[in-house]
Amino acid sequence: MYYYILDQGNLPLEKFEKLQTELQGLLAEFNIAGETARVTPLRSIADLIDTASQRGAKTLVACGSDDTFNVMLSQLRGRDFTLGFIPLVDGSMLGKILGVDNLFTGVKTIAARRLEKIDLARIAGSYFISFLEFGVLSHQLKHISLWQKLKQLSGDTRVFKIRIDDSYIVNLEGQGGLVANIRLTSGKNQTIANPTDGNLDLLMLERLSKTQALTYRGAIADGLLEKVPNTTVIKCKKIEFLEPRGFSLTMLGRVVAKFPATVEIIPQRLRMIVGKNRTF
Amino acid sequence: MDKSFVDDNAGQQAETVVGPSVKIQGDLNSEGNIRIEGQVTGKVKTSQGVFVNQGAKIAADVLAGNAVVGGEIQGNLKISGHLILQSTAKISGDIACQILRVEDGAQFTGKCTMNGAPVGPNGNGKRPGRGEELEPEE
Repeated sequence: MYYYILDQGNLPLEKFEKLQTELQGLLAEFNIAGETARVTPLRSIADLIDTASQRGAKTLVACGSDDTFNVMLSQLRGRDFTLGFIPLVDGSMLGKILGVDNLFTGVKTIAARRLEKIDLARIAGSYFISFLEFGVLSHQLKHISLWQKLKQLSGDTRVFKIRIDDSYIVNLEGQGGLVANIRLTSGKNQTIANPTDGNLDLLMLERLSKTQALTYRGAIADGLLEKVPNTTVIKCKKIEFLEPRGFSLTMLGRVVAKFPATVEIIPQRLRMIVGKNRTF
Repeated sequence: MDKSFVDDNAGQQAETVVGPSVKIQGDLNSEGNIRIEGQVTGKVKTSQGVFVNQGAKIAADVLAGNAVVGGEIQGNLKISGHLILQSTAKISGDIACQILRVEDGAQFTGKCTMNGAPVGPNGNGKRPGRGEELEPEE
């Protein structure tokens, strides 16, 4: 049985209700209408997943923004579901990666039910498939002025201490970085952020000059840190962020954990319904 | 020398990159190419290539498929394929490799063991067989 979790997120109510009607029409048309539940202040995504589990649903579909999917994933708590995603907003990063650009292709993809096993990352008991950031926040960089970007990118640095694969410790003074499983540029043939290679990629920026900040601000905002000279790139299975203590790890601007924290990859753990035009 | 090794020498395809201000303590293992620009205190191991850039320092053994060294290594190098010591290289330790190239200015203190196929006098990479005569030199 399909269980659809509808999240209004930041959408205006009128637009959301219009999309909901359109979605239900399409689900009926493609003959994949299961149970549909809407996120409200009294029924969180976690509550809806509990309900889906009790009702014996096998497939959970997040309908909303990237954040809806990420929250859904973080609340699975080890329960075994096949997952799908239908974007209700424009410009969804996850939608582009999974090959579902809009509502129609999302529903069509769920109906086609092409399954792909991808790596799942775990942090502090919750899960994610995309990427986490520390220090440099690409989500924030996209919405600030040029001067603020320069100030942020060439500003104060921090000394990071990170243990990799229980094998070695990395000490770096820099601006921050990201831990990636999937990015917008992910692909099966990509070396970095390949969601099927069983590895996490840790990318860390060193101290940037103002010129470097100006030249590479676009790449940094897109999370393509490897384009910046002297960026450290490490492929691994386990990352322990040790210092500075209390430093935030964020996903799309939302704090998910603070140092010390451990991120691990579980290879090929997730069954995802993916589109024909997926990037991997 | 195979083309992919030369391409990797440019550092474009390194899977693991250690930046100039990074200090690593412990054993660095990888399944792909490693490019080191910072400092590593611990063993470096990969079946692929290791590129130790100028300014980089490694204080331990290096085990790799191929290696290009332009930095400083205090430890033994066990390379199963090609080893290139660039003019800025400083090695204090023993070297074991199949094919070695040393550029002018490279500093090396230690023993060197070549495991490559011995080159015959004909220059064809083969020893003359028993009873086989050498070609006369012109």
